[in-house]
Amino acid sequence: MTIHLRVWRQSGPDSPGFLEDHTVTEANEHMSFLELLDVLNEQLIRDGREPVEFDSDCREGICGSCGLMVAGIAHGPQKRTAVCQLHMRSFNSGDTITVEPFRARAFPIVRDLVVDRSAFDRIIAAGGFVSVTTGGAPDANAVLISKADADRAMDYAACIGCGACVAACPNGSASLFTAAKIAHLDFLPQGQVESAHRALAMVDRMTDEGFGNCSNHAECEAVCPKGISIAGIARMRRLYLMGPLTAKAQ
Amino acid sequence: MTQSNGAAGQPRLEAKIPDGHLQDKWDNYKDAVALVNPANKRKHTILVVGSGLAGGSAAATLAGLGYNVKCFCIQDSARRAHSIAAQGGINAAKNYPNDGDTIWRLFYDTVKGGDYRARESNVYRLSQLSANIIDQAVAQGVPFAREYGGMLANRSFGGALVSRTFYARGQTGQQLLLGTYQALSHQIAAGRVAMLPRREMLDLVVVDGHARGIVTRDLVTGTIERYAGDAVLLCTGGYGNAYYLSTNAKNSNVTAAWRCYKRGAFFANPCYTQIHPTCIPVAGSYQSKLTLMSESLRNDGRVWVPKDPADQRAPDQIPEADRDYYLERRYPSFGNLVPRDVASRAAKKECDDGRGVGETRLAVYLDFADAIDRLGKQAIGERYGNLFEMYERITGENPYRTPMRIYPAVHYTMGGLWVDYELQSTVPGLFVLGEANFSDHGANRLGASALMQGLADGYFVVPYTVGAYLNRHDRADSVSADNPAFAEVQGAATRRIERLINSDGDKTPTQFHRQLGIILWNHVGMSRTRAGLTHAIAAIGELKEEFWSRVRVPGTAATFNKNLEFAGRIADFIELGDLMARDALRREESCGGHFREEFQTAEGEALRNDDAYMDVAAWEYGDPTPHLHLEPLTFESVQPSTRSYK
Amino acid sequence: MSLFAALNSPVGRKALTGVTGIGLVLFVIAHMAGNLSYLFGSDAYNLYAHKLMSLGALFYGIEVLLAICFLLHAYLGIVITIRNRRARPQGYKKYRSAGRPSRLTASSRTMIMTGVIILIFLVLHLKSFKFGTYYTVEINGVEMRDLYRLMEEKFQDPLYAFGYPMVMILLGLHLRHGVWSAFQSLTLTSRKLSAALYPLGLILGIGVAIGFIVVPLYIYF
Ligand SMILES: Cc1cc2nc3c(=O)[nH]c(=O)nc-3n(C[C@H](O)[C@H](O)[C@H](O)COP(=O)(O)OP(=O)(O)OC[C@H]3O[C@@H](n4cnc5c(N)ncnc54)[C@H](O)[C@@H]3O)c2cc1C
Ligand code: FES
Repeated sequence: MTIHLRVWRQSGPDSPGFLEDHTVTEANEHMSFLELLDVLNEQLIRDGREPVEFDSDCREGICGSCGLMVAGIAHGPQKRTAVCQLHMRSFNSGDTITVEPFRARAFPIVRDLVVDRSAFDRIIAAGGFVSVTTGGAPDANAVLISKADADRAMDYAACIGCGACVAACPNGSASLFTAAKIAHLDFLPQGQVESAHRALAMVDRMTDEGFGNCSNHAECEAVCPKGISIAGIARMRRLYLMGPLTAKAQ
Repeated sequence: MTQSNGAAGQPRLEAKIPDGHLQDKWDNYKDAVALVNPANKRKHTILVVGSGLAGGSAAATLAGLGYNVKCFCIQDSARRAHSIAAQGGINAAKNYPNDGDTIWRLFYDTVKGGDYRARESNVYRLSQLSANIIDQAVAQGVPFAREYGGMLANRSFGGALVSRTFYARGQTGQQLLLGTYQALSHQIAAGRVAMLPRREMLDLVVVDGHARGIVTRDLVTGTIERYAGDAVLLCTGGYGNAYYLSTNAKNSNVTAAWRCYKRGAFFANPCYTQIHPTCIPVAGSYQSKLTLMSESLRNDGRVWVPKDPADQRAPDQIPEADRDYYLERRYPSFGNLVPRDVASRAAKKECDDGRGVGETRLAVYLDFADAIDRLGKQAIGERYGNLFEMYERITGENPYRTPMRIYPAVHYTMGGLWVDYELQSTVPGLFVLGEANFSDHGANRLGASALMQGLADGYFVVPYTVGAYLNRHDRADSVSADNPAFAEVQGAATRRIERLINSDGDKTPTQFHRQLGIILWNHVGMSRTRAGLTHAIAAIGELKEEFWSRVRVPGTAATFNKNLEFAGRIADFIELGDLMARDALRREESCGGHFREEFQTAEGEALRNDDAYMDVAAWEYGDPTPHLHLEPLTFESVQPSTRSYK
Repeated sequence: MSLFAALNSPVGRKALTGVTGIGLVLFVIAHMAGNLSYLFGSDAYNLYAHKLMSLGALFYGIEVLLAICFLLHAYLGIVITIRNRRARPQGYKKYRSAGRPSRLTASSRTMIMTGVIILIFLVLHLKSFKFGTYYTVEINGVEMRDLYRLMEEKFQDPLYAFGYPMVMILLGLHLRHGVWSAFQSLTLTSRKLSAALYPLGLILGIGVAIGFIVVPLYIYF
C-alpha cells in the first residue's frame, strides 16, 4: 500500500515547526505504524536527509515510550492500542495521515515528534509511592486483599505513562495519569495509609507543572491504551477535597 | 586464543564463595560482612547504570540505606526500562499452594533448568531470597493477582511441577518495575537519588585498577559527560538485540557491558542465549522486533503441527487424528510445559521437517480449543485476555477461534559479565546485576526467574556486597571527575562519536544490524555447528570492516539523534557477535540454549560433556583475539544428570 | 493544607463550579415550571409569582444565594478556562475525538461560550423582567405585579420571541454536558451511576430548552 504522511518537523524546543509531506510506497498492512516510520527513515537517510525522530522502545504497548498524534487522535484511530501496536490494516492505501507530537505546555518538544514528559516523573516523585524502604516487609499474605480490590487496583496500575491522556485532553490535563496512580494505591491497604497526603501532593504538583484542569470531556479515557476509567479522576478529587480533613488524621 | 585455567592460580577468577553448607553460605557471608558506618554512607557516591528491576531496586535500596546515588538510564523515564515488558510472572519458593515447593526445590529446578552450568551457591541464595521479593513488592503496593479469599494467586510455569509463579495479569514485569520505580521516586523525592534519564553510558573509567566513574552521552544535547563515584553498578540488561530481531526493546544494548569488557571485565558464556518458544512469527522484512506471547500460555494451550507436511487445510479442518501434538508425544511427563530450550528446538525441528504452518511455514500452532471447551471462554479470557488481544492486534487473527501461530525468537541472554559471589566483576568496584551478569541461569533460564534474579540482586544482595567493597577499600581518597583518567576516556568516547557521525557511507545503521542478525540467527542461533560458527566469525569480521567504511549516520552529534545512538550500539553488537561465535565454537557440547549439532543423543536431545566443559568460560578482552579463562563448576549438593522431561 | 486552599485549587474550583451549577440547574427547573404556569392563564401565573415574592426574607435569601451561585459559577468558569488554554499554547493542526467512551461533544467544548452568552443574556433578562415595567393587577382583592402582561408584551417583539429561544437552546447545550460534569466534579466514583447519569444531562438539556421555548412561541403565535 501507499501512504502519504504529513509529519511534524521541529529541530528543537524553541524552533518553529512545520508539517512536511512524505510518501511511503512500500507500506504493508501487517506493518506497525512505527515500522512505517522506520521505512520512511531508512528512505530519508539513504537520500541524505535527516530522519524523523520519535520515541519508542518496547513496541509491545507496555513501556509507554511511544506516543504520536496520528490522524488527529492520540495513538491513532484504533481503540486501546498504543501507536507501536497500531497496524497499517487500520488504514487504506492512498490515505494521507497527519502525524504530530503530543502537545502540552508541560511536554516541551525535544525534536520532531519527541517530547519531554519528565513532568510525569515529578508528579510520581511528589507522592506516587508507598513510603517503605527495602527490608522488613511482612509476609505477603499477612494482609488479605479482596480479589475485587486487587483487580481494581490493577486496572489503574496498568497505566503506562505514555501521556496520551494529556495529549488528547483539550485542556492538556494530566488528571487521568495522576488519578491512575492515586487510585491504584488507594485500592490497596498498603497504599491507603498515605492516600490523603498522596492525593494532595500529587495533584498540586500536577498543577504546578502547568497541566490544565479536568473538564470531564473524558477524551483521555477514549485514547488511553489501557482504557483507564475517569472514575479514577473522581476518586482522586474526593481524596483531594477530603484531604485537608483526613490528612491530619493520617 | 590463549587459555588459562581459573583453578590454576588465576586470582582474577576467584568466585569468593563463602564457606559452609550450601544452606548457610549467605548467612555466613552476612554474619561476617563488615558494615559501613551509617554516618559515612552519604559520603559515598554509587553510580547505578540502568533503572530496570536490577538497577531500580539497587538504587532505591542503597539510597534508602543512606548512600548518595546517581542513577542513569537511556529512556526518558526510569519507568520505561525493558523489565517493564515481562509478562508471565516471578517465581518464589513461598509454597502458598502447599504443593510441595521448598527453597531447595526452586534451587534444584533452576540449576537443572540451567543444565548444570550455573554456580550452585549463587542459585541457592537466589532461591532463599525469592520469598522476600514477594513480601517487598506487596508492601510497595504491587497488585499481584489474588484468589477470592484474598490470598495471593499462583500459577505454574515451564520447567516446574509446582505452582510458584506470582503474576499481575500479563503485566508482571510492569507491576514489579513500577514498584521499584516508585521506591526509586521515593528516594528521589528525599534527595538521595539523582536520576539522570536519557543518558547513555559510553565507557567506564578505571583509576588504579578500580572502577571509579563513567562517561555518558546526554541523548538530548549530545554532551559527553563524566561522573565519578566510589563504585559502579552495571544493571544494563541483556544483549539479545545482537540478533536484530528479538523480543527485547529497541534500546536494549550491550554497549555499557561491552565497554566494561574492553576495560578489563571478563565476559562469561556469551554463547548462552535463550530462544523463547512462543513468539509471534516474523511477518516481513520490515519487521523491527518480535513479540513474545507469555510462556504461561503453554499451561492451557496445546502445541501441534499437521502430521502430513503436505496438509494445507485450515487448522480447524484438520481432525485430531491428523495432528501431531509433538511435545506431548515426545515428553509425556512435562508435555507442553517443557523448558524453553527444549520447546524451541522441538518447534524448529518440526519446521525443518517441513511441517511448519502459516504462510512462511515457520510456525507451529498453539491451540486453546480444548481449554476453552473445558474451562469456558470466560475463564480463558480472564487468564490470557490481554495476550489474546495483543495477538489479534498484531496478526489480525482471533485466537479464541483460530489457533495462534508461534515460533521461537531470541529472548534472553544467560551470558554476561562475569561476577563473583558478591556480584563484583573482574574490575574491582564494578558490580554487575540482573540480566547483564552471567550468574544464575547457567545455559538456560527457566521462566519467571529473571525478574526474581534482578530483584534479588538489587534489593538484597548488592546492598551488602557494595558495603563490603567500600569497607575493604578505603574510599577517603575519593576520585573526582577532574582526574586525568576521566578526560582520557571522555576524549576517546568523543572521538568515536565523531568518527561515526563523519563517516560518509551509503548504508544505514539498521541495514548493518539486520545483516548481523541474519548471521547470528543462522549460525549462532538455535542450533550451531563448527562450520557455521567458523563461517560466522569470518563474516562478522568482514561486516565490522564494512561497517566502519560504509555506515552513514545522519544529522549531527549535538542533538537528539536516534540513529547515532543505534550506530554506536550496532558497532558493539558486531564485536560481541564475534565473541559469541568464538564461545560457541569453543564449547564442544550441547547444553541448555547452546545446541551444537555435533553433540546430540540419538533422539536429538542435547548431549552435555561434563568432563570437559563443566565450567564457566570467561573471556578477557584482547586484540585481535580474546583470552579465555575458566571457572570450574563444582556441584556439591546436586548430582548433575541428564536433563529429562520425558 | 487548608480547606480554603483545597477549594481554591483547580480540583476545588471545579467542585465549586459543580455545586453552584447544580444549584443553578435546580433554579432553572423551578423557573421553567413557573413559566409553564403561564399556559394556565394570567391568574395562575401572577398568583404563582406573587406567592414567591411574598415569601419575604426567604425569597430574598434565595435570590442572594442564586446571585452568588451565578457569579461564582461564571467567575470560576472563566478562570478555569483561561488556565486550561494556557496548558496548550500550540494547538494541533489536526485534532478529532476518538469517540466512545469520550464525552467530548459540541456541548462540552463550548461550555465557556454558551456560559458567557447566558451570562450576558441574564443581565438583559433581569433588566427586561425583574427590573422591567411594574404593571399591577388585582386578583381576589389582592394587588400584585402583573407579570403576565409584561411577558405578553415582551414576547410580541420578534427579537424577544426568537432571541430568547435561541439562548435557551444554548442553555440546553450547556446543561447537556454540565449536569453530568457536575456530578463528575463532585467525585462521583461509581462507573455505573456515571453512565446512568450521562443521559440525564441530555434529557434535562432538551427538557429545559423546550420548557422555556414553549411559552414565548405560544405568545408570539
Ligand atoms: C518480552 C519479555 C518478557 C519477559 N517475561 C519475563 C517473565 O515473565 N518473567 C521473568 O522472570 N523474566 C521475563 N523476562 C526477562 C526479564 O524481563 C529481563 O531479564 C529483566 O527484566 C532484565 O532486567 P534488568 O534490570 O537486568 O535490565 P533491563 O530491565 O533491561 O534494564 C536495563 C536498564 O539499563 C539501562 N541501560 C542499558 N544500557 C545503558 C547504557 N549504555 N547507558 C545507560 N543506561 C543503559 C536501560 O535504560 C534500562 O534502564 C522477559 C523479557 C522479555 C524481553
Ligand atoms: S514503544 Fe513501548 S508502548 Fe509503544
